Amino acid sequence: MGRLKHPGPGFLPFGLAIVLIILSLFLIFSKWKKGIASTPFWPHRTWLRPLLGVAILIFFALVVEWVGFLITTFIFLMIWMGVIERVRWRTIMSISIGTTAALYLIFVLLLDVPLPLGFLKW
Amino acid sequence: MFQGLANGFGIAFSLTNLTFALIGVLLGTIVGILPGLGPAATISLLLPLSFKIGSPVTSIIMMAGIFYGAMYGGSTTSILVNIPGEAASVVTCIDGYQMALKGRAGPALGIAAIGSFIAGTIGVIGLTFVAPPLAEFALKFGPPEYFALTLLGLLMATLLGGSSVVKGLIMVVLGLLLGSVGLDPISGAIRFTWGFFMLQEGVDFVTLAMGMFGIGEILINLEKELTTELVTRKITHLWPTLKDWAESKWAILRGSFIGFFVGILPGGGAVISSLVSYAVEKKVSKHPEEFGKGAIQGVAGPESANNAAASASFIPLLTLGIPGNAAIAMIFAALLIQGVQPGPFLITEHPDVFWGVVASMYIGNVMLLILNLPMVGVWVQLLRVPYAILAPIIVLFCCIGVYSIRNTVFDIWVMGIFGVIGYFFRKVDMEPGPLILAFVLGPILERSLRQALLISAGSPFIFFSRPISGAMMGFLILFIFIQIVRTVRGKRIRD
Repeated sequence: MGRLKHPGPGFLPFGLAIVLIILSLFLIFSKWKKGIASTPFWPHRTWLRPLLGVAILIFFALVVEWVGFLITTFIFLMIWMGVIERVRWRTIMSISIGTTAALYLIFVLLLDVPLPLGFLKW
Repeated sequence: MFQGLANGFGIAFSLTNLTFALIGVLLGTIVGILPGLGPAATISLLLPLSFKIGSPVTSIIMMAGIFYGAMYGGSTTSILVNIPGEAASVVTCIDGYQMALKGRAGPALGIAAIGSFIAGTIGVIGLTFVAPPLAEFALKFGPPEYFALTLLGLLMATLLGGSSVVKGLIMVVLGLLLGSVGLDPISGAIRFTWGFFMLQEGVDFVTLAMGMFGIGEILINLEKELTTELVTRKITHLWPTLKDWAESKWAILRGSFIGFFVGILPGGGAVISSLVSYAVEKKVSKHPEEFGKGAIQGVAGPESANNAAASASFIPLLTLGIPGNAAIAMIFAALLIQGVQPGPFLITEHPDVFWGVVASMYIGNVMLLILNLPMVGVWVQLLRVPYAILAPIIVLFCCIGVYSIRNTVFDIWVMGIFGVIGYFFRKVDMEPGPLILAFVLGPILERSLRQALLISAGSPFIFFSRPISGAMMGFLILFIFIQIVRTVRGKRIRD
């Protein structure tokens, strides 16, 4: 950590941690003093849709390297629009195909990004 | 100076740069119109692409276009739907929507676009003349001055920005702590990597920004069903009448100057300037009772202010290397990615970047006037694109974008984690803006603090004994003092 004369790598983080503790205590204390009745954190199952979104994101990160980006992207869009949002079937198909193609065009053809193609290597 | 500007126009008028300026302002208009996607989030989405776009000038021209373009687009949604398309257009809802209800959506949109153009151009003229001498002045700055300045910027950003000062300060501290992950810049010690080799270079800014702003914003929007009900009546009479013009010309000018000065302040920016302008217009008006019922000054003033502020907030970035708000922090990162160090040396070392971007802003404002006045009907159709389709595409864009930087899935995980954290922050009313700002400023703050203490052999008085940093610290203390007095007073009134 060092001292004021020769501040080391832990100097600032330590100071910040102290400030953070004071601020947190202040926040907790002010809320507790006001005694505001707590509202439910997630009223009416509002946690469901964000949770599904995170789940799809995890799915993407897990499979993209071995299934390949084309198929994963397509499935990602289908699930998102089909499960979270219930978009009409025909819209889902056209948007999924269109977006996958557009992303392939931008990233792979235009910007030359080596995206994982999985078992679709040709 | 004029030589520089002429060269800048030469650069900005090249076909590539014109194209990217157009792409930028077009994207800016679009995200400005679309609620739930701000300029900061959009620029973060495009950061991975800036690795691939060849020259620094071109990519900064595009990102700047997004930032000031969003200021134009934001008013459209405020006026027609009563939802701010973008945070700096919140106050425009009040009188803009009332005007639309009275069938005066056309003049409201028209005066917003014209006011934005005038103010934007005034802002860029100010940028042209103020930036070079300020940069020269900033050459005198040493570590103590930089420490005082960054501290002032961070504090002002939290005091002026969010609803709760304590929450804002907590975000600042968290941002500073996140910024200290990785190699210590002075001793080379490894900090807070928890054994992850990938974290040794520190938390990647792009990953953090995309998570907090891109993913976090989408997740919180998933909670509510965003359905937009448009004022579907045909928009006519975009060109304001002589009476409208007479009523709003001073509001536009006042807004421009308010915006410019608030924009230069460390921690100031478009959002605050529009609020200040609205308050001022209401105060100077002879008919303050008309405000809230469709006063055209209530649209003209704030919409001008946010544009002037957007241009002006490039001044601290390009002359001091200190970004004032989250969107500008993204452009700061883009400059670093391109190998351009923002700071007092930028204008002399990279005159092409500085003058090219400044010149492109003159051109961009003309482009925006054309895009937003005759073509506003086209963009309004965008509001019909449901969020249901937009959201997954944005998330995918984040995933692939963040992957493309280092070709590793690890970054997608980190982004996802930051996305979830960003979601919870928003849930408890903690805006991630100050965190991003602090993350960017953290290394500057730490380096200048430790260097200053090394110079002074451990005496903290170095921050007060030098005239420039002393003045800044004095200002800082005054600011804190006023804040404390106001809090105490406010409590007494409530009791």
